[in-house]
Amino acid sequence: MLAPLTVSLLVASGVLGLVAAHHLVRRRLVDDPLILIGAGIELGLLVQLVYGISQSGAIVDGSERATFVAYLFTVLVILPAAIFIAIKEKTQWAMAVVLGGAVVVAVLLARIQQIWALNA
Amino acid sequence: MPEAVPVDPHTGHQSDHHTHTGRGPGRLVVALYGLLALAATGRSVLQIVEYFDRAPVSYLLSALAALIYVVATVGLARGDRLWVRVASVAIVIELVGVLLVGALSYAAPDWFPDKTVWSHFGQGYGYVPLVLPVLGLLWIRRSRRLRSAPIG
Repeated sequence: MLAPLTVSLLVASGVLGLVAAHHLVRRRLVDDPLILIGAGIELGLLVQLVYGISQSGAIVDGSERATFVAYLFTVLVILPAAIFIAIKEKTQWAMAVVLGGAVVVAVLLARIQQIWALNA
Repeated sequence: MPEAVPVDPHTGHQSDHHTHTGRGPGRLVVALYGLLALAATGRSVLQIVEYFDRAPVSYLLSALAALIYVVATVGLARGDRLWVRVASVAIVIELVGVLLVGALSYAAPDWFPDKTVWSHFGQGYGYVPLVLPVLGLLWIRRSRRLRSAPIG
């Protein structure tokens, strides 16, 4: 996979996690910076999806390739869902959900990278 | 769906905030359930479409687990009396499932040639499938208690 993209996406999800943690402590709710960081990550994930699918032929094992493509799609869903839940919640728990979402995105990015490294 | 509950304009808190299974900390519980539902559904679709013949029982079990997680997620998120009851039933089945399949996968590994969400007590999913039903049931119990208690 594209190493610079993976690294930037991991850094960006780290930043999102930090902003969410900051908002959680400061008792803030979903605001524009948070949504913009999330949108930026989603853009990067879309690039990763297109590039990943175009390169997925390099993974020889059929079920590994299917898992790889499934993860590429799944990782796209996490942040919109987390931010949607967070917008509706007006307490600190909103930021707990966004923080959790950022962690899940980072874990999925690592899994995608792992499947790629082991099979391609 | 209209929100039946008035919102305090100053705090934004809903007055059923502490009794609704899908509000406050419940958002996190619902999010966790949703995540597991997504993971289990994804895996079972993949298993059934890609290589069903390899271990049909395991894969049907995966699909069943996925369905139960979806029901539990919806139930907790809706949070009215009926849906919470539906969610409780789903979560109890889930707990029994993870304990039973978890134990069997150690006792009779050849029954499960391929992994399910529940095998080895959910080891492949960081034991989340084992922890989540306990968390879910405690959460429902807490919400029920607060609901039956007088406000204030």
